[in-house]
Amino acid sequence: MEDKFDCIIVGGGIAGLSAAMVCAQNNLRFLLVERGEFCGAKNVSGGVLWGTELARLVPDYWKAPDAGFERFIRHRRLTFMDEQSAFSLDFKSDHFDQPPYAGITVLRAKFDNWLASKVEAAIEASAFADESFLVPDVLVEELLLESGAVVGIRAGEETFYADCVILAEGVNNLLTRQIGLQPEYVPADYVAVGVKEVIRFDQKVLEDRFQLQDRSGLSNEFVGFASQGVEGGGFLYTNLDTVSVGLVLGMKDLREKGGPKPYDLLDTFKRHPAVADMLRGGESLEYAAHVVSTGDIRALPKEVYADGVLVTGEAAGLLLNSGKAIQGMDYAMHSGILAAEAVAAAKQDEDFSAASLKRYRDALDASYLMQDMRGFQDAVHLLHSPAMFQAVPNLFCDFGRQFFTIDNAPTRKASAMLKDSIRKHSSFLEMMKLGFKARKL
Amino acid sequence: MTIAERLGTVSYRNQGRNDASAHIHVDTDICNSRCPHKGTTYMCPANCYTVDAEGLVHFQVEDCIECGTCMYACDQGAVTWKYPDPEQGLGVTWNLG
Ligand SMILES: Cc1cc2nc3c(=O)[nH]c(=O)nc-3n(C[C@H](O)[C@H](O)[C@H](O)COP(=O)(O)OP(=O)(O)OC[C@H]3O[C@@H](n4cnc5c(N)ncnc54)[C@H](O)[C@@H]3O)c2cc1C
Ligand code: SF4
Ligand code: SF4
Repeated sequence: MEDKFDCIIVGGGIAGLSAAMVCAQNNLRFLLVERGEFCGAKNVSGGVLWGTELARLVPDYWKAPDAGFERFIRHRRLTFMDEQSAFSLDFKSDHFDQPPYAGITVLRAKFDNWLASKVEAAIEASAFADESFLVPDVLVEELLLESGAVVGIRAGEETFYADCVILAEGVNNLLTRQIGLQPEYVPADYVAVGVKEVIRFDQKVLEDRFQLQDRSGLSNEFVGFASQGVEGGGFLYTNLDTVSVGLVLGMKDLREKGGPKPYDLLDTFKRHPAVADMLRGGESLEYAAHVVSTGDIRALPKEVYADGVLVTGEAAGLLLNSGKAIQGMDYAMHSGILAAEAVAAAKQDEDFSAASLKRYRDALDASYLMQDMRGFQDAVHLLHSPAMFQAVPNLFCDFGRQFFTIDNAPTRKASAMLKDSIRKHSSFLEMMKLGFKARKL
Repeated sequence: MTIAERLGTVSYRNQGRNDASAHIHVDTDICNSRCPHKGTTYMCPANCYTVDAEGLVHFQVEDCIECGTCMYACDQGAVTWKYPDPEQGLGVTWNLG
């Protein structure tokens, strides 16, 4: 077939664009289809893109003044809160101050669009400058199959064929479900809903308030009162002249609690004294929400490859939410790269069968990503335990209140204060059990 | 901030077009006959599922921000969930995301 592509990529989010970049660099003839008006138009994240892999796709990206990221993370904070108090672990280091930065904040409508422009440039420079395409504003409705193998896509009346298809369609993975790699109905147990707002400040005010130098930034995660008894947590990240603030809420727990609504929880979180102080005077520019996976390994698709098809990023359930960070974007990037490398190798062998594409699965298994997902399942489950999102934050805040209170009374030993706080909010047995679990993290 | 104010910050596609096609269909007979929790009415981040004074569930797709929540929140089989058609459908275009 003359107009058959080497590869079709469904989805122009981070997984799809990363795969496209590697396809272009390997001189593959490919088509990327994105349903949004532009790449990023449909995408939501917190978000910090962790790791340094972007520098592999776009070398020295930070040097360009128009680079699509907001700030690099130099200051990290993890905050435990109860209704009135906030107890934080705070870490700031010039160690984080050098490129390639290991964490950057992004706004997806801007970042994905920028990354897409870099992919366009890579296509220009490839052997198929006029035969590889990045096409937005088109929805892939169906995967085409022949004798059980994926051979192409259908969008409206049009069909396109390829040796293989890379699915990079995100967590709401309808096509992955179409071909039976994931059940048609995925229960609420395995997903969360994220709600956020982007709040604008005068850039100088923002930089002064958060003590930011040049393009340095802060990432702050929250547990406890942030989600008001619902399993989950909060986040606050600094962008160039905005702040992203939001919550990630366990879907099943949210249903079982019977309310309040996610945006009401967000309001209460924003009104917490520690958060309100950071947001004072800001103007809300955009509210957004999106489903996000929990990183539970039991929710992974049956397989991430089949005849003629590879599944990447959150479409493949690849994400780790360890409490101190959500890693969905770096997982999307890494898996997109590995999938495209597998396609390039399959092209060499002219073999796109499942047996040949299994090399993608092998590469994933050998990568940090599957090792961490397997290794940190205990952390994922720990986050689901009420002790972790209720008792522990309350206990920390109670202890903090005692520890930092100086009044006209004899000062007690810190150990006595801690005992007090534990008794009040949990029990020694509970804490020992928790400590035992946490030991494995 | 009210939900109406919040949604006022969102850019929608084909807003106000009365021939725009719906991407989500909800069988409200199921909602109103046998759903034990009516989860979507307090979980949808765009308040597309509402309960009226008689306790009946209603759905409108116009404010939908395509988050996906209802696809998982509804375990009663009432929700048929598709992506909106870029030309004919509703849905969002994030300015920031
Ligand atoms: C509130 C929130 C906070 C988060 N915070 C963080 C964070 O701080 N750090 C982090 O790393 N991760 C974070 N995540 C997770 C992260 O956003 C995702 O894991 C990541 O976006 C997954 O990338 P992806 O490329 O796999 O999918 P997506 O980014 O979802 O991209 C999928 C793309 O496919 C397109 N598409 C889907 N179906 C079709 C179709 N049929 N035809 C054409 N196009 C299609 C979509 O329009 C979209 O562009 C957060 C998520 C949320 C919701
Ligand atoms: S959860 Fe399903 S059945 Fe129940 S009210 Fe919502 S849409 Fe209807
Ligand atoms: S996809 Fe999200 S915004 Fe749209 S109706 Fe469902 S829950 Fe509401």
